[in-house]
Amino acid sequence: MANFTAKILGNSVSAMTASQALLSNASNNIANVNTPGYSRRDISIQTRIDPAAVDGILRIGSGVQLGEISRVTNSFLEDSLRRAVSRQGAATVRNEYLARVENVFSLSGPTMTVGSTLNDFFSAVNQLGVDPSNLDLRLNVLQKGEDLVGTIRSTFQEIANSQNELDKRVSMEVGSINSITKEVAHLNSVIAQRESVGVTATDERDQRDTVLSKLAEKISFNIVETPNGMVNCVLENGFPLVNQETSRDLSVTATPTFGGATMPRSLSDSVLSYVVYNFGSADAPSHLDLTQMIKNGGGSLAGVLQMRGYADPSNTSPYEADGDLVALATRIEALTRNLITEVNQVYRGGDEDPVTAGVQPRAGDLNGNTPDVFGLFDFDFSGVKDSDGDGAATATDLAATGLHTFSNLLKLGISSPDQFAAARDLDPTPGSLEFATGDGSNAQALAGLRTDAFSYSLGALSFTGTFDELYNSAVSTAGNMKSAAQLESDVANASYMTASSKRDEFSSVNLDEEFANVIKYQKAFQASARMIKTASEIIDVIVSLI
Amino acid sequence: MRRVSENQTTRNLVSYALENKRRVGEYSKQLTTGLKVEKPSDSIDAGTISRYQQQIAKIDTYNSTIAQAKSFLQSQDDIVSQASQLLVRANEIAQQGANETLSEFSRSQLAEEVFQIRDQMASLANSTFQGKYVYGGVDDDDAPYDLQTYAEPVDGDANKRYVFDAEPGTDVSKTVRVSDDISVTLNTPADKVFGTSMEALERLSRALAGYSTNPASGTPDGTGTAYTFPDDFHTQTSDIKACIDLLNFARDKEMIPERVALGGRLRRIETGTALLELTKNSAKEALSRLQDADEAEAASNLQQAQTALQASYSVTAKVLRLSILDYV
Repeated sequence: MANFTAKILGNSVSAMTASQALLSNASNNIANVNTPGYSRRDISIQTRIDPAAVDGILRIGSGVQLGEISRVTNSFLEDSLRRAVSRQGAATVRNEYLARVENVFSLSGPTMTVGSTLNDFFSAVNQLGVDPSNLDLRLNVLQKGEDLVGTIRSTFQEIANSQNELDKRVSMEVGSINSITKEVAHLNSVIAQRESVGVTATDERDQRDTVLSKLAEKISFNIVETPNGMVNCVLENGFPLVNQETSRDLSVTATPTFGGATMPRSLSDSVLSYVVYNFGSADAPSHLDLTQMIKNGGGSLAGVLQMRGYADPSNTSPYEADGDLVALATRIEALTRNLITEVNQVYRGGDEDPVTAGVQPRAGDLNGNTPDVFGLFDFDFSGVKDSDGDGAATATDLAATGLHTFSNLLKLGISSPDQFAAARDLDPTPGSLEFATGDGSNAQALAGLRTDAFSYSLGALSFTGTFDELYNSAVSTAGNMKSAAQLESDVANASYMTASSKRDEFSSVNLDEEFANVIKYQKAFQASARMIKTASEIIDVIVSLI
Repeated sequence: MRRVSENQTTRNLVSYALENKRRVGEYSKQLTTGLKVEKPSDSIDAGTISRYQQQIAKIDTYNSTIAQAKSFLQSQDDIVSQASQLLVRANEIAQQGANETLSEFSRSQLAEEVFQIRDQMASLANSTFQGKYVYGGVDDDDAPYDLQTYAEPVDGDANKRYVFDAEPGTDVSKTVRVSDDISVTLNTPADKVFGTSMEALERLSRALAGYSTNPASGTPDGTGTAYTFPDDFHTQTSDIKACIDLLNFARDKEMIPERVALGGRLRRIETGTALLELTKNSAKEALSRLQDADEAEAASNLQQAQTALQASYSVTAKVLRLSILDYV
């Protein structure tokens, strides 16, 4: 006779063991209810197959046995979560910096902007045109001119400083990317080792998912899982950041091997760095440029690069770079260059003596002096400013100085109220000048520039319009960039919310479910314990017969 | 079956509450600042807002130059009307003096008043506005009429001679821009307004006082001599008569056209001002529509946002308090 009582005992014990394992798994899930990136664990159970069972005898079954423990995850959901994180990373950086830069184009309040000081300056000049010998009005022109020059300098400086800061942030971001990829490579090797003996390395996989999500915050990449449980992180162009157990360190350099002797300058006249991979050695580097590819992707590094701008190594001017800050700075610089060239030309009053070569000024101040070539809007430069000596301030002269940026060097060419040249020569004889103190025609001509359209061409900017219109386009550009970044950030947040919600829906712990399971397993445990008692009673009955 | 995990619930509830809180913040800012758009990104119309702001600033500038120009032109109106009255009086005296029943002595008595009229006319031509000579053209720190002397007589009113001082700029009128494309002339050079008047008064007063002027026509050069009576009595009469024609010419061809021109400029400025006001008002209205917060709307939005925030707080508290542990 088969020992059925032993069977009862055996089955019950297997069930009690299984229940305890399931209960302890539930306790682990409950413990990790708030752990970020934790995927709930599931233990599968199955009927135990008794190897000793022999055909011909009634097969009752041999109880239950534990299957394997698994993480409840979905690689597709994890992927879409990482993509959302990357998108959010880029949008957050852009949003943050544009919010700062946008303030210099404020539309309200007491903030002095280039727009408001332009208004004030031209108003002051126009008023002086009516009463040009009035010293109060002259002082007003001087002050408003200083304000205009000051706001242009500070506005440009703010943008250039942001670019500088972002350039420094590039190396910080690359530094953390390098340390994260090292961690991924290390976890890859640990997981492969554990899983080679057939155990799922659940905790390590959880940890790797968290780390990958951190990496996705910095840079966007694709994941390729290998059969041994490792993951490769591959950039858009196929460059592997992590290849199985090894990671490749990116580096940041201002002197890449693919660049020429002179590299493109930044807005503040330093050098824009490149994110590269060094295929060569430290002594004999050979750089692969990854900057533009990373910039076009997602993650905070991409956001930083999009704001800072990417310059083709063959560029010469800082305004050829492709980036948000550069686009704004270009407009300010275009305005500055126009003030230095066109406005100064009008300020000189035209050519007094067409017979003599070059432009002889026709405007005069209260002391009867004529203005210099850069008489009203001047710039700090120790070399020769009017290189061709033709007496006219032109773009050629600016180019000959070798300077890239004038906005941060801009200054007023006059220092006292009587030096403003409001009058024009009244004597038609060439070479002979005669000014009247009540003559405001030069001031009026200058004020009239406000309604004149000019062509601005600098870097990617090609614009025709008045000063006001140019400034307005800067305001719209700043506003549109910020709105776009805000929108992108909102969309990224929404898709992050959706992706993490989907992931949580699938992988995260639900206390209700766990408790229901706890009750279920507890009941099963109690029932099995009761079966042991029953078996024990059966044995007691048999023993009492003896 | 759709699972809902603890993390999911908490995250959603918190994000709803945060969004509601952000909206409460935004609407209360709109209410306190009165502005809907402060930064360029607050509206897609940022460029337009900036343009309206510039337009209004520009109109304000024009308005202040217009105010300046207007008081300048009005002061000239007074001057020219006084000058016209002086011409009328001078004409009366000239008519009287041309009468040959008057003796040379009576004529010299009439001369006294004409000298005064001449001096007054000169001071009108040399009048100043805010310290600047009104009729000095752009050379406004220099009097248009300078005082010189005749060789004969050696003293007295008849010795005085007013000469138009043609400096560079005296013949250039001041102009002012009162809108983007309208410029208005502010003054007329002194010799165009007072030239004939001064000449006529000069000749008349000297003739009445018994002195001839050279050249016979045009501005006297200061070399006239005393008439010899009774031989020159008829010459004196014809000189006085010539002055009547000159005075009429001065009135018809200089003073009246100047008054008409002044009136025209003032009207142009006024029309310009009215137009500017219209433009400014519509710009202000458009700007306000684009940039200012609608108080009622912002207030009701704030109310809504507050209600929503309270609701999300209460829902969050209720939902998070639910636990299966209360039932097992």
